[in-house]
Formats: sequence, structure tokens, C-alpha cells
Amino acid sequence: MKRAGIYSLVSAALMAVAAGPALAQGGSHDVRIVLPEQPANLEPCGSIVTNVGQVLNQNVTEPLTVIDAKTGKPEPKLATGWEQIDADTWRLKLRQGVKFHDGADFNAKAVAYSIERMTGGKLTCNNMAKFGNAKLTVKPVDDYTVEIKSDRPQPILPTLLSVVMVVSPNTPADKAVNDPVGTGPFKLTTFTPQTVVLDPFDGYWGKKPVVTKATYVWRQESSIRAAMVETGEADLTPSIAIQDASNPKTDFAYLNSETTAIRIDLAQPPLNDVRIRKALNLAIDWDGLGQLFGDDIQRASQMVVPGIIGHDDKLQPWKYDAAQAKKLVAAAKADGVKVDTEIKLIGRNGIYPNGAEAMEAMMTMWRSAGLNVKLVMLDVADWVRYLQKPYPAERGATLLQMMHDNNKGDAAFTIPIFYRSSGQYSVLNDPALDKEIDAAMAASGQAREDGFKKLFDKMRNEVVPDIPMFHMLGYTRVGNRLNWKPDITTNSEIPLANIQFKN
Amino acid sequence: MLHYLGRRASYSVISILGLLTLVFFLTRLTGDPSALYLPLDSTPEARAAFAHLNGLDQPVYIQFWNYLSDLLRLDFGESMRQHRSAMAVALEAFPQTLKLAFVAMLLSTGLAIVVGSLAAARPRGLFDRIASVVSLAGASAPDFWVAIVAILVFAVGMEVLPTSGTGGWEYWVMPIFVLMLRPFGLLVQVVRGTMLSSLASPYIKTARAKGLSRHAVVFGHALRNSLLPVITVAGDLATSLINGAVIVESVFGWPGIGKLMIDSIIQRDFAVVQSTILVTATAIFLLNILIDLLYAVLDPRVRY
Amino acid sequence: MSAIPSAALPPSRPRPTRARVLFNYLKRDRLALAAAMFLAILVLAALLGPWLAGDSATRLGLRHRNFAPFSLDAGWLYVLGADTLGRPILPRLVVGASNTLGIAAAAVLTSMLAGGLLGLVAGYSESWYSHVIQRGADIIMSFPSLLLALIVLYTLGPSVTNLVIVLAITRMPVYLRTARAEVLELRERMFVSAARAMGAGSVRIVLRHIAPLVVPTLITISAIDFATVILAESALSFLGLGIQPPEFTWGAMVANGRGYLSTAWWIAFWPGLAIMLTTLSLNILSSWARTAADPQQRWRLQQLKKAPR
Repeated sequence: MKRAGIYSLVSAALMAVAAGPALAQGGSHDVRIVLPEQPANLEPCGSIVTNVGQVLNQNVTEPLTVIDAKTGKPEPKLATGWEQIDADTWRLKLRQGVKFHDGADFNAKAVAYSIERMTGGKLTCNNMAKFGNAKLTVKPVDDYTVEIKSDRPQPILPTLLSVVMVVSPNTPADKAVNDPVGTGPFKLTTFTPQTVVLDPFDGYWGKKPVVTKATYVWRQESSIRAAMVETGEADLTPSIAIQDASNPKTDFAYLNSETTAIRIDLAQPPLNDVRIRKALNLAIDWDGLGQLFGDDIQRASQMVVPGIIGHDDKLQPWKYDAAQAKKLVAAAKADGVKVDTEIKLIGRNGIYPNGAEAMEAMMTMWRSAGLNVKLVMLDVADWVRYLQKPYPAERGATLLQMMHDNNKGDAAFTIPIFYRSSGQYSVLNDPALDKEIDAAMAASGQAREDGFKKLFDKMRNEVVPDIPMFHMLGYTRVGNRLNWKPDITTNSEIPLANIQFKN
Repeated sequence: MLHYLGRRASYSVISILGLLTLVFFLTRLTGDPSALYLPLDSTPEARAAFAHLNGLDQPVYIQFWNYLSDLLRLDFGESMRQHRSAMAVALEAFPQTLKLAFVAMLLSTGLAIVVGSLAAARPRGLFDRIASVVSLAGASAPDFWVAIVAILVFAVGMEVLPTSGTGGWEYWVMPIFVLMLRPFGLLVQVVRGTMLSSLASPYIKTARAKGLSRHAVVFGHALRNSLLPVITVAGDLATSLINGAVIVESVFGWPGIGKLMIDSIIQRDFAVVQSTILVTATAIFLLNILIDLLYAVLDPRVRY
Repeated sequence: MSAIPSAALPPSRPRPTRARVLFNYLKRDRLALAAAMFLAILVLAALLGPWLAGDSATRLGLRHRNFAPFSLDAGWLYVLGADTLGRPILPRLVVGASNTLGIAAAAVLTSMLAGGLLGLVAGYSESWYSHVIQRGADIIMSFPSLLLALIVLYTLGPSVTNLVIVLAITRMPVYLRTARAEVLELRERMFVSAARAMGAGSVRIVLRHIAPLVVPTLITISAIDFATVILAESALSFLGLGIQPPEFTWGAMVANGRGYLSTAWWIAFWPGLAIMLTTLSLNILSSWARTAADPQQRWRLQQLKKAPR
């Protein structure tokens, strides 16, 4: 792929960087953000990847709808209204007076083009993962109205549309791009292995943000990122380790919609005995373990965070009871269950900070409850073989360290994959349970919410297919120039429009 | 000499091809990358589509055949992560590492030769002891430790240097310092060891008896004859810097080829892994040929 | 001719044993003596440590997370502080010594032996296998060690043996190339032609005449290589490819402390210091051994004695 443009941009960027730190602050409303990792590419269809989304979402490209973090419901963005025509079809009204960075008009044809590009299969579009195997057809009804038809019922299509980033119709449809053209308040000026630079787009349809330029750099070490904000070399870092978040004036914690858990392979003995699974939940000193993740960490009782439709606020998490755990194991042993079968605890390197320490701690606690647990730390490609079907045949009894992210406001993105027999992460195989799940998925409104809540209750109290650990916190450090606080969406996007300056 | 060079070059090309073949097949033993490029909750159909799009669902020998035929057209494949030419990615990163490695090796070899010779001139004296302890401490300290502590002290504490990044000379100071530690420490010991042996030879006694100054004896006579192992070790250190200035690159944010290689290996970005190995292997093979030529220049007894 | 009356001759002393001679040399070099004692204590810790420390090195102490050093509030075991899971560092250093020294010694010895032998062959002979060996070394040098570690661990599974194999393979080329370089120069020397003229075969020349001259440099390199291997294992542990928990080495302890350097510096500092002191001692001792073994240098360690009159 010839990138003549990128080379001139690269040399311009290198000269700018070589001019030294004097340019770092530049104009008074320029912002410098340091990310933990380089965005590997800037393809809008891959914006669910954290680093890509934090740069692009709502800055360069905008979606059709956005999710309100407190209610879980979709709000208008590029689509201003919607109505459901039938079970498979929705009609959307589009915003008028919007232009792309390259001058093209935003209209129904552009939306149809974007969606076809995303679903066409000529490039890998990760954002569409939430749609599963559904096929979409888009029909422009008039310049500012589209009809989206799916091949299966879509009760929450507007929620799903929050991942559809609309790109200019001039974007190639058969390959991924690193210079996306969208409708957002900023346009992409530079993308090199060292930096990304966004400059304001004068033709933006909405309110002009205060930020006049955004420069992104990346450093892998958390202590370096923290140091950069401290010395003023950067204004903001969206992710530092908990031990570096020591200054309450600049360091802010936020619930980041990730839930950590251990998945129990309940098809394999001795894990097929529910007493063993309950003992696994009871044997952990949750207060002690929680200290690895911070004082404000929230204990999880189910696999979604509060605020998601389907979260049962009244559900209590398991409490630490070592004696009860030992009793359950002994009772199972007395009934002939082979409790000294080796159980493999499969950890994943770097899955979350202090993840390896947590696994070591949990293994030690389970051993003192009388179970034979052995820890194996794997790298991500190896670990994924145990995460997704088909599972390795000779795996034995396994406990899998995992983390689940659901920031789409609805438990439909969690329950089927974990608990339905066809789910990618599921080890359950219960037709009655499947019917219950399907019923809740097809329902809407209060019935939907209640159905999901009942399912979570059942998992927690009767089936115990997993060990929910914590709702995770992210830590950010914000420099003195900025007036900004993180929220639950910070893990997936940092809209520059939300950044204000202290004067 | 030219005959020798020609033979070495052809052997090296064959070896590099062998290396690429080895890397091609072995990396594909390390698991299916589809799972790494798609969200964890993707459907099996989506994963199959990805595998098909990137040619990963074909048998390995067919993939290898395609790779070889693409190589003939100088097409090194596309990075699955960055969606652009794998060789462009590798060639962009290589000069960053080369700059750092070159300066670090030059400084550390030069300094080590001076310090090691002076230490060997008076063994077990004060200078020798201090030089040994300091150089060994530097060589055995974990490099990320030194890097992060240096940043905390000089950039955050004293604010005389920037924390990280590339730019003017002030951005080079700490990375070069950290990179120099292990080569300097090892080379001081090697120089000292070989110089000790040389300085005990009869011809040195003759030179001293002739009345030559200590300086002339050490640097003019003994040094030249001790350089062969020093050059070998220096060459090995240089190649390890090319492959592995990873810590310095990741802590200081230099987008070099060491970090690129590690990230690509972990992410199973096969085309980039192959391209980076090709680039670094070529550099390493060239460096080794250069070193072997240097042997012949430095020591007339060495003949090929 | 009158013999000197035997009473006037000083009583002839029995010749001292080899060990006694070496010990005397050691006593003359104070620093080498200190290094030898440190290493002896270390080996003792490696052998007896796991038995003495019991489970104090692995028992969790989540209430003592990142406990600071230099205070006796939590008992003398915690005098060096505690790590991220509240385990006291002092017993962990003692118990970790056995894994660390074992893995490093095995890897260094294997690579030194294999690399040295192959280097001797590659340097002395001119035939095709010399070239094959050299190109093999080049290929190993160009193969990233992380990739090798990943492949071995992915296909053969994580285990200490596989870890040692990976570390030994990646360190081999330097010994190979150094040995070869020295042999290239030595094989042209007079004593080699003399030996050949006397009918010695190649193997005998290489092993008996050339090898002893090559060994000192290899040992110098191996003393620092010890640290390199420990730190390479530390880098692998950081990526999760090193020794598997609950087993640990000093390198793994250092890797765990990487994120805490500004907040709990002791977690990475004490094991790092242990690595440094071990390397220093090995190096001082190897430089002493080099002096003691070289007949032209030995005088530095010998005591001057007046001859009996």
C-alpha cells in the first residue's frame, strides 16, 4: 500500500519532535495525552480496541448513537430519532447539516456506505462483533432517513448502533485505513510510530471544543506516564497502576465497566459437584484480596457492573468463610468425590494489574481449603485456547482467570456468551436454561430487565458456574492545567470535548 | 580475501534463508492469531472469516509457498496489526535502534579499553578494584531498574533531563547511559583479562627493559595483541543490543526494532516478525563478517 | 669429603597439598577471600535454605502488603520488607537462591561447554563442518530469545528444564565465537607446529594444548554471563514465560517489583543487590583463579620466602 502522504507527515512530525520540549505546551489550550500503548492502527471499525477508541471515538469519528452510562439507554448522536417498524426492522432519522472532514455530505447514502463497509467482509471489522452473526441491510428512504433490516429480531438495535462509526464515502471499502475521515470535531493530522496529532475541524456541526490541538504519545511503564504528568510533559494519562496513584489532587479512580472473575469448568470432576464450586467462592479472603486492587474496589456478585440493564442491585456477593469451605469440601470427599484431583488454575499474563499476584494468592487460599490447585500462567494466545470453544480435549479440571467488559448498557452482551449452551465462553449445557435466556433476550422493557436479574440470581445461588471477583477500577492522572474527571466510558473513549481548562 | 568474502556472503545468504524458513514454521506452532485480533466474544464464524481473509486457514506449506513467491517480488507481507507493509514497519523502526546501539557500543568499547588497560597495568591496585566493582555493579544491575531510577532522579527530582521520548541530545543521555552499562562492564573485564596475559609476555619485558614508557607499553604494544577476544565480545554485545534494547526502548519510548519484535511476537503478527528478523539477521551477519575481517587486519597470524 | 652434618640441615618440610597451596593464595588476596566466603554462604543457603525457612517464604500476608524495610514491627523476618503479597523478602532471598543459582549455573555451564567445544572445532578445522557450526551460531544469534522461549514453552510446556535449555541456547554463541577467535590465533603458534611435528593428532592438540589457553577468557565471560542469564530469566518472568509460580527466583522477584520502584523500591532492590553481589564475587574469584592458574602470574599470590642458608 503506497503511503506517499505518510512519509511527508512523518518527516514533519520528526522535525516537530526534534525541536525539543519547548514545543510541548504550545498554545495554551493544546493538550498532550500519554497512552499506555501505541494504537496499532487507526481503523474506525476497530475502535472497540481501547487505544484506538480513546483516540478516535467522538473526536475524529462519531457513532450513530451513544450509551448513557447511568441508564444504559441509547442517546442521539448522528441519528436523532428511531422507531421500530417490526421485529427485524428499525427506521432512523439522521442529523442534518453535518459534513465529513473531506467535504462530503453526511446523509442516508453515507450511512448505508459505512454500514456496508463494516459488514461487507472485505476487511476485518471488530466493532461488529457485538452483532454476532446477524446480517444487516440498509435502505435509504430519503436523504435523512434510513431503514435497517436484520435477518433476526433486534430488540436493542439502537444500543448496538453505538459502535457504528460513520466514515466518509470516499473511504476505501476493501481495506483498513490509518487515516480515517469522519464527522467529529477533530481531524487526524499525523500518525507516526511516536505520536498522533489531532487538529480542530472548522466545519463541525456541534459545539466547538475548547481544546485546540491534541497530541498523543505512548509509554509502556506506568511510573513513566505518572512522571510525565507530574513534570508537565503531559497533561493527562488515562491509565496508571494503582500504586502510582498516590496523589489525591491529581489521581482519580473510576469504575471501568470491567468485571474480573474465574470461570469454573463444571463439566470436569471434581468441579462438577456444586459443593466444591461453592467452597471455591467461600475460601477466598475477599477483603484481603481486594487490597491488591485498591481501597475503592467493588466486590462483584454478578458479571455486569451496576448501571447495566439486568444488573440486580440486591444480589449479595459471596463472603469469606474458610470454615464453611473446608466443611463443604470434606462433605464432598465423604461422598466419594475425588477432591484431590489436580485442578489447573489458568492465568493470563498481563490481563490486569496484579493479576498474577491475585492468582498466586487465590491458589494458596484454595490449597488451605483442601483442594489441589496448581497455577499455570500462560501468554494470551495460549490462554485463549481455553477461553473459547472448542476447548482442548485433554484440559482436565480447569479454573480460568478472565475479565469481562460490558459497556454497552445491556446484559444481552454478557448472559448468552457465558451461560447459554451455544455461548463462546460457556461450559453449561442446560436446555431449560437456554429457553429462559432466549425468553429474556427477546423481551423488552421491564420484562427484559427482570428476566436478566432472575438469571443472575440463579447463577449466584444455584448453579455457581463462576467466581465473580471485582468490578475493576481504572486510575487516571490529570495535570494541573486541565479540569477533567474520568467516568465509566474512559476505558473506551476520551472525548476531547469534555476537557476544560483551569484558568 | 575477496574469495573469502564471496564465500562468506553466499553462506550468509543461505543461512538467512534457513533462518527465515525456521522462523516461518516455528512461529506458526505458537497458536492461532485469529483469537488475538478479534474481540474475545467473536463468533466462530467471524474467526473463520478472519483466518480466511489473512490466508491463515490454508495448510502451512501452501502458506510458505505463497510467502516465498511473494519474497521474489519483494513483497514481505502485510502487518495484521498495522494494516501496512511489514517491511516498511521494520525499516522504520530499525534506524531508531541502530542509532542508539551504535553510539552506546562506540562509547562503551572505547571507555572499556581505556579503563580495562589501566586496571590491568596495576592489577589488584586501587584503580583496578574500584573499576572492577563499579563496572560489575553496572553490568549486573537490572536495566529497567537503572532506567526508571535514573528517570525518577534526573527528570522528576532534579528536572535536568526530560523523562522520555526522542529529540535533541538531552533525550539521548539517559537511554545511552543505561544501554552502555552491560557492555561496558563485561568489556572492562575482558580487556583486563587479556591485557593481564599480554603484559606478562616476554616481549613486554623487553619493551620495558628498552626504556619505553608505561603508556607506550600498555597502549602501543600490549593492547593490539589482546584485541581479538575483545572485538568478539564487543561484536556479540552489539548484536544483542540490536535485538534487545527492548527495555530502553519501552521505558524511554523510542520506537525501535527490539520493542517492535517483542510486540509482534506476542501478538503473533507473523509478517512483521519475519521482516524484523530478516532486517536484524542481515545486520548481524554483516557485522560478523566485518569482525572476522578485523581479525585478519589486527593479527597477521590469522589467515583464511 | 665431609658431608654437612645432618643436624645442621633444616628439617625438610613435607610438600604442602594442592588445596593448602590454593588456600594460601586465597589468603593473600583479601577481596577474593571475601568473595569466596560470600559464595560459600550462598551455596549453603541454596542447599539448606528451603529446609530452614519452611513456608515463611510462601505464606501469604495480605495485611503486610508492601511492608517497608528496616523496622522490626512485624518480626525479624520482615527486616528487609515484604513484597506485593506480604511475603517477607529475607526468607524469599534465601529460598530463591537455590532456584536462581541452580538455573543460572546449569545454563552457563551448558552453554560454556557446548559453545567452547564447538568453537574449538570451528576454529581449528577448516572443513565444511566448521562453516556449518559458525553459520549455526549466526542463526542462533539472529533468532530472538523471546521467540525461542515462546516456542519452547508453547510446544513443550513450562518447566525448569525447558527454561534452562532456552537460556543455554541463547547464550551459546558468545562462547563459540570467543573460543573460535582465540583458536584462530593460537593454531598458528610455534608450540602447535611443534606438537604436530611430534606426531600429535588434532584432537590431542586441541584438547591438551589449545583448550587450556582458551579457558580463562571463557571463564571471565561466564562470570558476568551468570548475571546476564539471571536477568534474562527475569525478563522472561516479567512476560510470564520464566519460572512458574509458586516457584520463584531472584530474577522473578526483581520482575515483580518493576512497577513499584517509586513506591516500594525494596521489592526489586534486595534481589537486585543479591544478583549484583553474586556477580561481583564470581568475577573477583574468577579473576583470582585466572591469576593462580597462570604460571606467569602466580607470583602475585605467592609469599616471598628467603631460601635457607
